[in-house]
Amino acid sequence: MDEQIFQVEKLNLYYGKKQALINVDLTIRKNHITALIGPSGCGKSTFLRCLNRMNDVIEGCRIEGSIALDGVDIYDASMNVVDLRTKVGMVFQKPNPFPMSIYDNIAYGPRCQGIKKRKILDNIVAQSLKKAALWEEVKDRLQDSALGMSGGQQQRLCIARAIAMEPEVILMDEPTSALDPIATSKIEDLMEELKKDYTIVIVTHSMQQASRISDETAFFLLGEVVEYNQTSKLFQQPDDKRTEDYITGRFG
Amino acid sequence: MKSYVKQYINTIENQKKLRKDQRMKKLFLMMALLASSAIAVIIVFISIKGIAPFLPNYTYGSVDFLPFITGMTWRQDQGIYGVGFIIVNTLISAFGAMLLSFPISVLTALYIAKIAPKRIAVLLSSVIELLASIPSVVYGVFASGTITLLVSSLAANFGFVTAGGSSLLAVILLLAIMIFPTITTLSITAIRSVDKEIELGSLALGATATQTHFKVVLTAAKSGIFAGAILGIGRAFGEATAVAMVAGNKMFGPTFHLFDTTRTLTTTMLAGLKETTGLDYDIRFSAGLVLMAVILLSNLILNLVKKKVGKLK
Amino acid sequence: MNETMRNQKNKRRYTDGILNMLTYASSAICVLLLLSIFIFIFSKGSGMLGMKLLTGDYWAKNYMTSIQEKNNHPSTYKSPEDASDDMYWSERWGVGFVDARNENNEAIVLVEAIDDASPFAHLKDESRQNKPSISAESGYLLENLSYQTTQGTTRLAGNIVSQDAKTVARLLDQDAVSINKIYFKTPGGGIRGSLLTTLYLIIISLLIALPLGIGAAIYLHEYAAKNKITSGIRSAIEMLTGVPSIIFGLMGVAVLFPLTKLAGADTTNVLLGSLTMAIILLPIIIRSCEEALAIVPQTLRDASLSLGANQSQTIFKIVLPCAVPGILSGVLLSIGRVIGESAALIYTMGTYVNDSPTLLSQGTSLAVHIYNIMSSEQPNFELACAISIVILVFVFMLNLLVKLMSRRFNKAWY
Repeated sequence: MDEQIFQVEKLNLYYGKKQALINVDLTIRKNHITALIGPSGCGKSTFLRCLNRMNDVIEGCRIEGSIALDGVDIYDASMNVVDLRTKVGMVFQKPNPFPMSIYDNIAYGPRCQGIKKRKILDNIVAQSLKKAALWEEVKDRLQDSALGMSGGQQQRLCIARAIAMEPEVILMDEPTSALDPIATSKIEDLMEELKKDYTIVIVTHSMQQASRISDETAFFLLGEVVEYNQTSKLFQQPDDKRTEDYITGRFG
Repeated sequence: MKSYVKQYINTIENQKKLRKDQRMKKLFLMMALLASSAIAVIIVFISIKGIAPFLPNYTYGSVDFLPFITGMTWRQDQGIYGVGFIIVNTLISAFGAMLLSFPISVLTALYIAKIAPKRIAVLLSSVIELLASIPSVVYGVFASGTITLLVSSLAANFGFVTAGGSSLLAVILLLAIMIFPTITTLSITAIRSVDKEIELGSLALGATATQTHFKVVLTAAKSGIFAGAILGIGRAFGEATAVAMVAGNKMFGPTFHLFDTTRTLTTTMLAGLKETTGLDYDIRFSAGLVLMAVILLSNLILNLVKKKVGKLK
Repeated sequence: MNETMRNQKNKRRYTDGILNMLTYASSAICVLLLLSIFIFIFSKGSGMLGMKLLTGDYWAKNYMTSIQEKNNHPSTYKSPEDASDDMYWSERWGVGFVDARNENNEAIVLVEAIDDASPFAHLKDESRQNKPSISAESGYLLENLSYQTTQGTTRLAGNIVSQDAKTVARLLDQDAVSINKIYFKTPGGGIRGSLLTTLYLIIISLLIALPLGIGAAIYLHEYAAKNKITSGIRSAIEMLTGVPSIIFGLMGVAVLFPLTKLAGADTTNVLLGSLTMAIILLPIIIRSCEEALAIVPQTLRDASLSLGANQSQTIFKIVLPCAVPGILSGVLLSIGRVIGESAALIYTMGTYVNDSPTLLSQGTSLAVHIYNIMSSEQPNFELACAISIVILVFVFMLNLLVKLMSRRFNKAWY
């Protein structure tokens, strides 16, 4: 099961003149959960957004180096960014359902790919909600507005929305930072479940969360990857002094 | 897990989608360019039309520019076109209105933004908004039904006879009312955005609340208040229909006397709209061009003044 | 020492008091101003308000009629039960008259009520070739009525012989055995045509300005890079707001008139007014649309893109639907601007009040109608104020709606 899905080599990213990522080398393994940790502003979210080219929309953003998905460079001119994003889904920090019904939220992605048949969409919606452990809660009110759900439900809806596209990788940018502990643990259980079918890369500010759920952890500091290792190894016997300082709470 | 979506993801379709994006971007850019070209179209066409009567090969017999710009008589019936006195009149009425409206506007703004209890402030803001939303013809009806009566009875007290109240004073009063909401609204914004710290500092030094409002807050907000005044002057220059109802359209000489009738650039442009060709028609574009020049120049000068005033501590 | 300090304190309190009084006085002036405008407009104009004003023609029409032969004889008709006290009912001819005064303050007689079976409900229009049957209607002026008396002579009645309503009713009941000719005049002074023109203006100018303005706003907010071209476009649009409306009018006749000529217009026309109005509305729509786009959270755009939507799909399926309330408030503001605009429209549509306006004919909006009334020799203040009330009611309602919407809109998001 240990084949790699993302191969990042010598990645440098600049916002105008400011360098936000410096020589990042990482390998992300398939069907693993990879956690990215580090103090705020260290570049972990920026790195995450590189993986499905969400930085493309930001003005003055320039990227060097390569990121290969299944051996294909995603920054190559031949790469279709829409295709890429159907393969690499994303869940954001704050739950951000579209202001439409639960059903339409899930069906949005498939519809954008030209799927119009009601029956297929019904199946997609049901399957995605079931996988996101939301089906039992919402199956009777699929046509209700998604904005009426609780924060935790909204975030699971966003995960379901991402799953609907049947991606290979799901990127999660601090998905539980806006949620209460109960909703958080539900999402964490869900990730454990999803890992069987998808690769998950998660940015988290909680070291406990990283150690609870992830298989590998990368520690970012000032745009560099200081240490990348198996989670148990990184948290118990870090190789780098700075990692040790961070995980023991000397700074953060 | 069954796969439903994967088979539908089509790279060629997606390539098309991205190309469509480029097309849409161009379309929206075209729309933005079209919208922004309106101002250029206005300037170019009115300039061409407005300059035409002064060119030698003008169809209806060319007009000399110098007598036009310095002339003290406007007699359409005799073919005498001089806008010199009209420019002076326009300036007098606009600045007169400003002189009257400015202090009242600023004081009202100060009251609303700093002194009034919250409920009264909300109420007064709505009053200002209502005043701002009244169309200019309605102001014109109001002015020719009330202000002219006031002016003519006032003139009678001083032993003057007015043309049914149509006079420079009526124009100034009308314009003062019309630019009042503009200046007040901008002044309120300027006063509200003054840093609280400055105020607290003044209070801490032992100044009373009133002293702080008048000396510190107004000084700190002056550039915003001045911007409101510039906008107000612009509106006063361009106001047409309402002014036309109370101006009286005098045919000669700059009007300095408050009870005398007057003529502004806009009322000149509205007067006698019957013709659709000929010099009488084209000269209106020249007047429009002069109006634009007056607005542009006074804006430039006032902005320079604003910069100077802003630098003074 | 203590004395001087106390003096200074008193002096300070004194000046503070005066300064504060000044602010109170200024605020009072602005309230008084609004009140006096309201009082003037409403007291002068409210008397003329009514459905007749809103649905009637502006120009009076003349009808030369005669009664259809089979009905031309007296009979007995009951006075309607809801008739007012000042109406005089002719029992034998089934028609009621009232006294009124015209705009020159002369006494006139109006038809007030007609029985369905009355000879007055079965007239022939003599002025037209095939003499279509018509009926007199409430509000018609009874200008001239000639009738046959019992002695066999012909007599006149109505405004032409300065009779009042009571006399007319009495003469008809006592003397008339048949009626030869009736000359009616319709009241006029209505604003239906101007309302219609205003509606045309609103619809057409929005049809043009809305897509263009939304498109431009989308470019500026969703696509444009922060460079010189963008800021140039922005300031060019911003400059439009400072242009006086009379200049837009000049632009309309100089630039857009040839366009409407292509469409077959030979005078200034409603279409030309609409096109000119569309340009005036552009900056308003662009600004409110941009503000609406700015409120849509960026994360919704990100979410849409991350699901494999392209930018066009994101804009049309997510961003624009979210911005609808803001765009709508821009539309409402624009409608208010169209209703209030006068100078630009005087140039582009003329000041001729048209009872049946078409796109390529002249016409007046409500505001221009007022200007037309006010620029006549003896302005009819009552009518001008009545139209002003109509305008003010519309404009204030629109403003209120915008306010309510912006309050709800700002709450709706996250």
